Amino acid sequence: MASNDVHSHRDEENGGATCIATTDTQNSSNHRSDCKKYEIIDIDIRSEFSHHDRDVARINNGSFGSCPSSVIESQQCYQLRFLQQPDDFYFNHLKPSILRSRQAIKTLIKADHVDEISIIDNATTAAAIVLQHVKWSFFESKFNPGDTAVMLHYAYGAVKKSVEAYVTRAGGHVIEVKMPFPIASNDEIITAFRNALELGKSDNRKVRLAVIDHITSMPTVVIPVKELVKMCREEGVDHIFVDAAHAIGSIEVDVKEIGADFYTSNLHKWLFCPPSIAFLHCRNPEVANLHHPVVSHEYGNGLAIESSWIGTRDYSAQLVVPEALEFVNRFEGGLDGIIKWNHQKVVEMAEMLVKAWGTNLGSPPEMCSSMAMVGLPPSLEITSDSDALKLRSHLRDCFRVEVPIYYRQPKDGEVNPVTGYARISHQIYNTFDDYYRFRDAVSNLVNCRFTYSNGDPTPTEDWIGLVWFGLVWWKMKESSRFDETPLTNFDFHVTVTNHLNSKIFL
Amino acid sequence: MGEIRRSHGEDPEDDHHHKKPKLSPFITQSQIQQEFAHHQQGVARLNNGSFGSCPGSIIASQKRWQLKFLQQPDDFFFNQLPTQILRSRTLIKDLINADDVSEVSLVDNATTAAAIVLQHVGWAFAEGRFHKGDAVVMLHCAFQAVKKSIEAYVTRAGGSVIVVQLPFPIHSNEEIISEFRKGLARGKANGRKVRLAIIDHITSMPSVIIPVRELVRICREEGVSEVFVDAAHAVGSVSVDVKDIGADFYVSNLHKWFFSPPSVALLYCRKSSLSSELHHPVVSHEYGNGLAIESAWIGTRDYSSQLLVPEVLDFINRFEGGIEGIRNKNHNAVVEMGEMLAKAWGTSLGSPPEMCPSMAMVGLPSCLGVLSDTDASRLRDHLRDEFSVEVPIHYQPLKDEVGARDEGGGFITGYARISHQVYNTIDDYIKFRDAVNQLLHDGFDCKMLGRE
Repeated sequence: MASNDVHSHRDEENGGATCIATTDTQNSSNHRSDCKKYEIIDIDIRSEFSHHDRDVARINNGSFGSCPSSVIESQQCYQLRFLQQPDDFYFNHLKPSILRSRQAIKTLIKADHVDEISIIDNATTAAAIVLQHVKWSFFESKFNPGDTAVMLHYAYGAVKKSVEAYVTRAGGHVIEVKMPFPIASNDEIITAFRNALELGKSDNRKVRLAVIDHITSMPTVVIPVKELVKMCREEGVDHIFVDAAHAIGSIEVDVKEIGADFYTSNLHKWLFCPPSIAFLHCRNPEVANLHHPVVSHEYGNGLAIESSWIGTRDYSAQLVVPEALEFVNRFEGGLDGIIKWNHQKVVEMAEMLVKAWGTNLGSPPEMCSSMAMVGLPPSLEITSDSDALKLRSHLRDCFRVEVPIYYRQPKDGEVNPVTGYARISHQIYNTFDDYYRFRDAVSNLVNCRFTYSNGDPTPTEDWIGLVWFGLVWWKMKESSRFDETPLTNFDFHVTVTNHLNSKIFL
Repeated sequence: MGEIRRSHGEDPEDDHHHKKPKLSPFITQSQIQQEFAHHQQGVARLNNGSFGSCPGSIIASQKRWQLKFLQQPDDFFFNQLPTQILRSRTLIKDLINADDVSEVSLVDNATTAAAIVLQHVGWAFAEGRFHKGDAVVMLHCAFQAVKKSIEAYVTRAGGSVIVVQLPFPIHSNEEIISEFRKGLARGKANGRKVRLAIIDHITSMPSVIIPVRELVRICREEGVSEVFVDAAHAVGSVSVDVKDIGADFYVSNLHKWFFSPPSVALLYCRKSSLSSELHHPVVSHEYGNGLAIESAWIGTRDYSSQLLVPEVLDFINRFEGGIEGIRNKNHNAVVEMGEMLAKAWGTSLGSPPEMCPSMAMVGLPSCLGVLSDTDASRLRDHLRDEFSVEVPIHYQPLKDEVGARDEGGGFITGYARISHQVYNTIDDYIKFRDAVNQLLHDGFDCKMLGRE
């Protein structure tokens, strides 16, 4: 850690303003060379995120996002107004408030017209909207049976299921673009994608749909969407849908420059909105003929209007976009400043971790957003998705570290492969502590020779293991709060089996 | 509700000490007002039917769940959410007398449930299980969103739609049953099959209780493939026994009359080979695990309103007679208030009392001149803006110059749908009565609103 760096100083007793500032040192790596000094003015970050569980090293902003308390308060005002006089709220306030949010989003993503912006619950809903439209195209014979849809192998699980539910079921053929991971450069992605498009067009078929992630979820990598969209246009793909669930608030978004037909991103992940809100941008709304699957009396009035009323619900999360942007603009450099800060910090922390564990990053820093894939020590022996999930639970329950774990299938012949990766996030509320605790937790597991084994233990082994882990956890909890030093090594061998119930430690 | 009763001296201690009043175990009127203290003061809120209502203690519980998610969302997602949703679903299963909890899904609202059922019908047409021209039967006063959903999923896929016209004002169940039989016969004409019947349990506008049990029985007799009961208003205002009703699909909102926050609805799907074919239109990784599980996770959202059924039941059980007590009280009060208003204005109710749930259609004096849907909607706004009365207005066109007449001899073409929920007081209805009397006194006509 460069000696001049100062990160947030968390004094538990001091309720005063927290300042995050960083200065460049001569030891900075190249990608940090143009970092500015970022300072939070008038904001007590601790107090804005005081509702976060203090005991938890929360390094998973990517999954569920986060929301400052001032935005929550604004949301609660809207909720109260509905409860006070719902008819008046519905007739006189709801529509203009949604329009206000849509206008703010239009400016943010550099769209041409507010008609292009619809607000929906989340990217999962956006996928259903686009894919249902593709389904109709198959039914109404605009597309032929066997025509293809191309998507990344690393597409989000829900999107894959949605493609199955709407495209495969309607007669379309799906091609997955396999990308290597770890990944070294954009070229690997571009080549793989080109091959998939070729395959999609073979045998006289047409590629009717390309689903391209802007930032994949697991494993997380920034995809060169602009180039891929351009390629799709050249190859005559009918509809290009960019699933950018993570994008807004973690990388720059310019929908015109990207040029897709449909582009969706969640605002509750990285843009400080409460759960849940996303936008779906439609390049040509009149032509697109998209519909919200939940049909209300607004059916036929355009997707944006349809989405603004899908029956009685709590729409308050959709109304606080201006307030979230106000929060963002209290930071020097605004959203750009936050994006650069988070990226710089997550790479720094990722490099710290790989150094501590002797592993590697899953992608070069320039392909990281506000998240990074950090290789886990091979000695943890993660050999399946199930192992990855168990490790995640174990880290949560025993070490109070929240971080998703990814299992990577090794290639044939790989020696001592890194098969587990942690997806660490950095958002403005994170501190060095969070990543030290993770570092120490994993180091400790390695030192205790923690592995996943398929053998059945004897009951004695089981209970001895549980007791020792209890002690380990308790010791970690006590020490990591105050002196942030790694634990001394334990040399007791423990084997944890599949049926260990880690809840015993809560 | 709830009185302070004197003890009757049965407690021996009372002989020696000052007699203490025993409090009723039930919620008091002032406690009720406190629970709904967030309602806007000064507004006569006679429209519980549209958006429902939620007591302050339930809102507070909801905030606690929302906070849990914000505190540690991963832990909430993995360790708490599925259990809590199952807990709500289990209580609902008992409430509606379903056989199995797998038959109960929680969705946002009846509008979403309609999309789920109709999308399933749409697939059946597209995949050739239903044939082009096969019919879907609905009531003419079906909720507008449901009508549009039929257009979006059934008409677009090649199905035809038969609309059953119900008379209004209405006098008996027989009128409904007779029209429905005629509608089914039209559906089956020319060798077509009726693939789906959509029957409201309580229509929205105009509001009337429909004899669903009988209509479902007729559907079965006539070989209708699937029956969907849209009971958006039912739970909390009429008795609901899904096995007795016998439909394939039954939906009711819980935020209307069941004190839940916005928004949550139950969708009951009778266990059958059909039920496994239903899918939530927003597809998540749970796709294929059954509708109830699919609906329990449709991406990151605030699910807190779905987690409060236990707290709602606790609230309800503070009332004498529980939910049945509340239903009866609301029904009696709304009929009493409806009759008071009709008498004051020289008009009549749109249906007999036994066909009213916790809502009633009260005729408006003909000289107010409600002669179109636009007039009705403008009058509603006018009542809100000028009189602080919130009540939806229905325009009822005359059929063949036949209709109810008011005391002055004019045809009644406007009806107010008044609701009664536990927070309402007689003052709310007096305020409405006086507002209309004021309009009459001023020689008001809806035509005047067009000029503003």
